[in-house]
Amino acid sequence: MVGAVLVIGAGIGGIKCSLDLAESGFKVYLSDRSPNIGGTLAQLDKWFPDNHCGMCKILPIFSRDESSQFCLRRGLFHPNIEILPLSTVEKVEGEAGDFLVTLSVKPRGVTEEKCIGCDLCAQVCPVEVESEFNEGLVSRKAIYLRHPLAMPNSYTIDWDSCTKCGDCVERCPTAAIDLSQEEEIRSLEVGAIVLATGFEEFRPQPLTQYGYKRYPNVVTSIELERMLSASGPFRGRLVRPSDGEAPRSMAFLQCVGSRDRERDYCSSACCMYALKEAMLAKEKNPELDVHIFFMDLRAFGKGYHRYYEKAKDDLGIKFTRCRIPQIKQEPKTKDLLLTAKAEDGGLTRHQFELVVLSVGQTPPPHFPELSKVLGLDLNRWGFCKINEFSPAETSREGIYVCGSASAPKDIADTLVEASAAACQASILLSSQRNRLVGTKIYPEEVDVREQEARVAVFLCRCGEEIAAAVNMQEMIELARGLPSVLYVEEIPYLCLKDAVADMKERIKDEKANRVVLAACSAFPYERLFIEAIRDVGLNPSLLQLVDLREQLSWIHRDRQQAATEKGKSLLTIAIEKLRSQEPLPLLCQGVERQGLVIGGGLAGLIAALSLAEQGFEAHLVERAADLGGNLRDIYATLERGDPQALLKGLIKKVEENPLIYLHKETEVIEASGYAGNFEAILKDKNSMLHPIKVGAIIIATGGEQYQPTEYRYGESEGIITQRELEGRLASGELDSKELRSVVMIQCVGSREKERPYCSRVCCSQALKNSLNLKEKNPEVDIFILYRDMMSYGFKEEHYTEARERGVIFINYEVDHKPEVKTNGEALQVQVIDPVLGGTLKIEPDLVVLSPAIIPNDNRKLAQMLNLELNEEGFFKEAEVKFRPVDFLKEGVFLCGLAHSPREITETIAQAQAAAQRAASLLARERLESGRVVSEVNERRCSGCELCISVCPYDARVKDEEKGVVAVIEALCQGCGACAAVCPNDAAKLRGFTDRQVFSMVDAAV
Amino acid sequence: MGRNAILEVEDGNLLNTLNMLWRKLFEKKVIDALLIPQELPSGINVVQTLVGSPESLESPNPLAPVLPVNSARIVSQMTKVAPSPRRVGVVLRPCELRALIELVKLKQASLENLVLIGIDCFGTYSIKEYSKLAQEGSPPTEDFLKGVKEGREDSSLREACQTCEYPTPMNADLIIGLMGMDFEKSILLQASTPEGERILEALELKDSNETEVAKREEAISQLIAQRTKKRDELLEQTEREVFGLENLLKLFAPCINCRNCKTVCPLCYCKECFFDSPTFEMEAEKYLGWAEKRGTIKMPTDTLLFHLTRMNHMAISCVGCGMCQEACPNDIPVSNIFRLVGLRVQRIFDYVPGRSLEEELPLATFKEDELQEVG
Amino acid sequence: MADNEFEPNIVGFLCNWCTYTAADLAGTTRMQYPTNLRPIRTMCSGSVDPVYVIRALLSGADGVLVGGCHPGDCHYVSGNYKARRRITILKTILNTLGLEDERVWLRWISAAEGRKFADTVSKFTEELRKQGPNPVKKYWST
Repeated sequence: MVGAVLVIGAGIGGIKCSLDLAESGFKVYLSDRSPNIGGTLAQLDKWFPDNHCGMCKILPIFSRDESSQFCLRRGLFHPNIEILPLSTVEKVEGEAGDFLVTLSVKPRGVTEEKCIGCDLCAQVCPVEVESEFNEGLVSRKAIYLRHPLAMPNSYTIDWDSCTKCGDCVERCPTAAIDLSQEEEIRSLEVGAIVLATGFEEFRPQPLTQYGYKRYPNVVTSIELERMLSASGPFRGRLVRPSDGEAPRSMAFLQCVGSRDRERDYCSSACCMYALKEAMLAKEKNPELDVHIFFMDLRAFGKGYHRYYEKAKDDLGIKFTRCRIPQIKQEPKTKDLLLTAKAEDGGLTRHQFELVVLSVGQTPPPHFPELSKVLGLDLNRWGFCKINEFSPAETSREGIYVCGSASAPKDIADTLVEASAAACQASILLSSQRNRLVGTKIYPEEVDVREQEARVAVFLCRCGEEIAAAVNMQEMIELARGLPSVLYVEEIPYLCLKDAVADMKERIKDEKANRVVLAACSAFPYERLFIEAIRDVGLNPSLLQLVDLREQLSWIHRDRQQAATEKGKSLLTIAIEKLRSQEPLPLLCQGVERQGLVIGGGLAGLIAALSLAEQGFEAHLVERAADLGGNLRDIYATLERGDPQALLKGLIKKVEENPLIYLHKETEVIEASGYAGNFEAILKDKNSMLHPIKVGAIIIATGGEQYQPTEYRYGESEGIITQRELEGRLASGELDSKELRSVVMIQCVGSREKERPYCSRVCCSQALKNSLNLKEKNPEVDIFILYRDMMSYGFKEEHYTEARERGVIFINYEVDHKPEVKTNGEALQVQVIDPVLGGTLKIEPDLVVLSPAIIPNDNRKLAQMLNLELNEEGFFKEAEVKFRPVDFLKEGVFLCGLAHSPREITETIAQAQAAAQRAASLLARERLESGRVVSEVNERRCSGCELCISVCPYDARVKDEEKGVVAVIEALCQGCGACAAVCPNDAAKLRGFTDRQVFSMVDAAV
Repeated sequence: MGRNAILEVEDGNLLNTLNMLWRKLFEKKVIDALLIPQELPSGINVVQTLVGSPESLESPNPLAPVLPVNSARIVSQMTKVAPSPRRVGVVLRPCELRALIELVKLKQASLENLVLIGIDCFGTYSIKEYSKLAQEGSPPTEDFLKGVKEGREDSSLREACQTCEYPTPMNADLIIGLMGMDFEKSILLQASTPEGERILEALELKDSNETEVAKREEAISQLIAQRTKKRDELLEQTEREVFGLENLLKLFAPCINCRNCKTVCPLCYCKECFFDSPTFEMEAEKYLGWAEKRGTIKMPTDTLLFHLTRMNHMAISCVGCGMCQEACPNDIPVSNIFRLVGLRVQRIFDYVPGRSLEEELPLATFKEDELQEVG
Repeated sequence: MADNEFEPNIVGFLCNWCTYTAADLAGTTRMQYPTNLRPIRTMCSGSVDPVYVIRALLSGADGVLVGGCHPGDCHYVSGNYKARRRITILKTILNTLGLEDERVWLRWISAAEGRKFADTVSKFTEELRKQGPNPVKKYWST
């Protein structure tokens, strides 16, 4: 067994999975074929369903100083993660627990440690090719940086287009370029592998009817992302490629490369990203006329339906249900002509100035080969084959999968699966936890608290990058004259290995106890320099970086005097801050290393097992006498799995696992505390109270089926729910042979004013039950009255199958709902037929309703633990996309129907994800804070609690005895909201005390 | 809403009648102690007193037109550390009640076991003025109430009172309603909480009729209209006086950094002022550096920083009681400036300090879809 | 002409997660903008105590820029919403007292918006040039 994992693919899924594994004590190799990390996500600015950016929120909360603490676009580091760019897996030997992986590492052509990112090489490079990052909208050179914030921030040679003319080699000031670099082979010993290779967007050239690449104003959705991006080629201005003018009208064509004959699957994310792009375009130009042509609007995720309604009702985006067969171009104006089949069958013609093809997800081109190397089975569409009841598992033991590698999906689902894959790998390797990780041992810190400040200042010239733009001498002289400064040195390249070594010597020689490094952007180099000053026994908070390049020389060319003045000011600010800087320790707090899982349905069972199988004790609390929850009533899945067998197996495993304490007929009546240190009181059926202490809590309290009040439910024997139908078919109570005709009505209680969300599972349920009926009795007529069929992903196949088997699908709109009439035993359903027009009357034997999934009453639990509920009564996660199973209240996690409606497969993944998040907390012996945390001056604190009300992390609590506020440092993220709201400085942010900020302000003016 | 009862004034002596009421509250076990202003033997001032038994009620006079301190501070002092298990009645003017509500939101006071008795307020004199009147002859309370009855506008009342648009108590359990009443004959006791209703029940008073309530309402709205008008005139004038750095500096020129304004402010609740913190303890070099940079600096420094920062902290909760202005030794119109600024910032959030315990302090919360244009 | 020579001095409180990164991006893409801003990297726009802004203005800063993540994007969930309230209150006070609240800007600039950052600094500098020096500098009696 090897306590290391190889994660293949450094998109958001791979990054998330790596972080989860790294945080729970495993060594991670994160490989990617491309020169930089970030994947598709790096190309996007904002995400549905809130048009916000929030990828930084996946960064660790605990021990946060170990990992990067800045925008994820600017890179990622974590001591347990080694990033392997430009790497391809060549061979995998061995077996689960002990793989030997051979990677081939493509030469970058540029030595990372030497490249200073000055761009001189690209300026002299004669070769121009299309920029893949900007989707070919602009060009780049054969030596390039994928995008300006790319990490590693080293340039790369694109060998396919490089002519090896050598101009760049000559120009490079640090001799970083080596055109003779050769491919390297690297072997890794890992215990598990996670496949996070993502997708390739569908390239629509083969669909000639759309004229993509022939008509300049037909673009793909991802091109539009770049066009809309503030950092994109058009600086965020939405313009037509043909003439650079702002379009007045635009159309989105959905399902391009999805749901067609060749790709009979739904790409799951396109409806939503089209909504987002349409909204962003509208934001830029409210007058813009935006149409979306779609077949089914699949807004099935949490919060998605509200988003759709906002687009439609608030922003006036128009929706037309039809597939556009063809686009024609008006040759003169380059406008585009679309012919749409209206709902009444007539043809309508539309003209648009810009057309966007919402392209689907396909497996990346290298995927078949990679899967062969890994020995994985693929499904018929070329995605990785998974087990319905263990979605992170591939066909090969020890190799796990997440994200779009196994099926098209969006970010939220990808991130859940990323944590689920991490969970599976952690289970396999749990005996090896913390074996291969271990932070570097630094010399003991010198206690500088009693010493006077002795500041050493190192100014980097960055070759001529800084030196040419400012008067270095003047800056040096200024620094020398500042109080507490005892040493100033100018260095050609501060980031080079030798320079760092020299600098360390100098600090030691001069007995400096504070260090200012005036060089370039802190983001890529902070870690390197922090390591350096820790090497000489200084606390990292005694280091200040000043950016004389990105914040000075590169932006103020040819204004040497003004730039120098600013440079002097920047130096003074840093030195002033540093003079009164105390060394900041990391503060720790213990962890109760067991978990509490509330709810014994599918999600709770999986979560408890996933904790126990990782070696953590878990209390599993279930209100009812039996485990299983809703799963007890489900007898088949759309994919023809057997949920009852699954349930039986799970219960057996849970009951037999010695680490699981099962509490049936028990409720949690009290819970308090914080991450690592919760206390809960369980009350069993005999009203006995059991206090327990746990470090993490997983909420899996489930949901239930809505009891319909619509469609005369309850008035006739023949009007039943899908679940009732399923149960009766399973028990044989209902003989499908006797059925002549069945009508199913979708969205009963879902996507309504009171419940503006999609219940996600009901369309599959309807498909499953109709296929089941058709199988047993092909003669039965089945009508499914639906609003949008939510057969996302590979469920589409079953939708197709149902149609092929003769199930009749009739679309209805929300304001023209079907009507159900009863006349004694006889039933009649009336619905407007959108194809033929007029009202269709059906007299079925059965009317089957697909009711909504609704949350249980979660208010009490929410109040106990200070958790939020959303408007619908489901629990509200910390962040809808990037922290899908976390709560803002650290240490509490969420899965199953308590989060939102979801399928069995999805629930399993989510429960594993929640368990993994909990495990990454329980895996620590103690929780460690960052250095910048808030503190309380008790003498000054009046206990007004303003700071408590503004703290988003519940990191501040009232010490009732003392009447003052206390900080739980491990929870504090250092945002400083408390310090800013505190009127008298009783709440302080370490490293940003009022005194320091005042000094900085003084230095700045 | 609530219940209204009539308290007949015996022998036309309102103070005596009220005194009986306080005693009755003790007798009926409504309260175990009472916080109430009493006249000093000298008669030249009243002070807040905490009275432990009805026998000790010597010269209670909550109607004396003077406000030596905003008693919200006193209630805070009494209840912050740990409220008493015994029931304490507190007789407060509207601005004191409003400040108290703010302090409760700021966790500086607790309403637990308090019986809030609010009293309609026609305004108060400065201590100086009050004692002058007292020394000049007849008891100021009687004269003042007489003046009120005659509808006399009294321009020697404190400016803050003349322009106060909240003359009636908010959030009191029991209101001593004087406005619109012929308070030589009867006054109104208004219960606006269940607690207040229990008190009325215990007192066995007869319910008022609707006309009396209506009369009071009408008198209140007239007074509010009159005062609001005055307020607006005053604030307009203040704005003219203060607007622009030059004017502002002129207004604050007499400031001697005594910080009396913050000491008496009922809402300056900090144990220790920010401006007394080590942040402001600096090396000589620092001062010299500034002097070098700017030629001359005023010593002590940070006068304007103090006032602007205090405004930034307090304006949102300022109830306009005017104590700061009273305390200023050099007659800087601190309160007028605070009211001007306070009203503007309170309006942004539709926040009225002391209106309701349910309204969150604006700095403790936010709305996602507000303030789209900050500038 | 003395007026033309006036170069405003701007103190910038830039949030580490978005606006400071935007400034970094403006740098890596070599956008040219005025030298007048003195950036101070803060954890979050929500950590900017209004007293810092007052202090900067009273110390003679001609302008103060507070830069944070777009509403909803805050790494610390809601720091920028809180900043928005605080700065609004502060600006209202300044405005009421005739203290030129237009010298204080609160701007949302995401990590991807290097251009917006550069444009913001250019525009602010331009506006302040027009407005002239902070009058505080004329008085020593603040």
